[in-house]
Amino acid sequence: MSSSPVVVIRRADNAVVQAELIDGVQPRDLGLIERVWTPVRAQILAKLRAASVAPVDWPQSLRWDWSRKEGELKLLEAGGFGVICDGDWQGVMLTKSASHVALLASQRSKPLVYVDYVETAPWNWPIAAIGEQGRYRGVGSVLIREAMNESIRQGFKGRIGLHALPQAERFYDSVCGLTEIGRDPNKQNLLYFECSPEAAEKFLDEGGES
Amino acid sequence: MNRKTAAPPTERWIRRMADAEDGCASIAVGGLAYDLGMLTPGNHENAPWVFARLLTLARRRREMTIDALAKEADVDVAELLALENGDVTPTPRTVYQLAQVLGVSTSKLLAVAGLADVEDESLKEATLRFAARSEPTTKLSKPERDALEEFVKVLVEKSDGG
Repeated sequence: MSSSPVVVIRRADNAVVQAELIDGVQPRDLGLIERVWTPVRAQILAKLRAASVAPVDWPQSLRWDWSRKEGELKLLEAGGFGVICDGDWQGVMLTKSASHVALLASQRSKPLVYVDYVETAPWNWPIAAIGEQGRYRGVGSVLIREAMNESIRQGFKGRIGLHALPQAERFYDSVCGLTEIGRDPNKQNLLYFECSPEAAEKFLDEGGES
Repeated sequence: MNRKTAAPPTERWIRRMADAEDGCASIAVGGLAYDLGMLTPGNHENAPWVFARLLTLARRRREMTIDALAKEADVDVAELLALENGDVTPTPRTVYQLAQVLGVSTSKLLAVAGLADVEDESLKEATLRFAARSEPTTKLSKPERDALEEFVKVLVEKSDGG
């Protein structure tokens, strides 16, 4: 694994704090990371139930537990990145290169980096209904930035593709400026997005909506 | 374009992105979760809530009180109240009665209520979309009205005559 400096925002005092961007996370590492994240998810689930929050309003990745999938993760060929701050994994991303080609009309059939998985640590989720504000902000943006960087490194000019969970559609559409390709019947109708080189350039230089 | 990789984010960039992220419920990507069978299956856990929201919004859209809807659908007021609170799963008879009043397909409404498996992909999608877009607020906002009308359209179309 290699590490480079990045920054995130600590919500408690709104300070910009130093973090490490880790390159070289392996799919099998997800299982280990999940051993720390899973108990926090369980606490969130208990609070949601106690507050009678409707299941439709629960974080849609609340039930993910990759520690149960360690065998399958070991067989997965993917690259990975993560953000460490304050000694903990604050977010993780897995990507595949050259396994997917673009569907976007202007980029059709050109290779892209497919983002297979992105998630932030559950203690970073702001959940108003149970008073959770989240510890660090901007972690997801740092990871997507790195997906675009990885695409540039691979010679794919910033092209990325991903299937967003319904609750994350707004982030990839409005905030990151990705193009909605359509719902994918092969992935439980998740909305599939792609990023053009122009959109990547804008995101990397300016960021998303103000 | 022969762009080089971007330098580490600036303070301005991360502040702008963190603010924008705050307006989003999640950033989670689900490709791997689908491949490994981790996506939430079906809608049965959500069913009472989705059904409750549909019922509440549809009733309010018609400017009906619970009493009036209960009378028109020949359903007990207490049962209707419990259904709108998401406390109970409706009986098949109640779903049938309500489908008649709301003018939607009985089999689809049974599926939304969690009393039948949802095999229709377009209905699954419409249900998730509706659940994500509607809030149980007192006033029917335009987005809620749009969400309701879009959902009802799916429930009505390709009617099975049931």
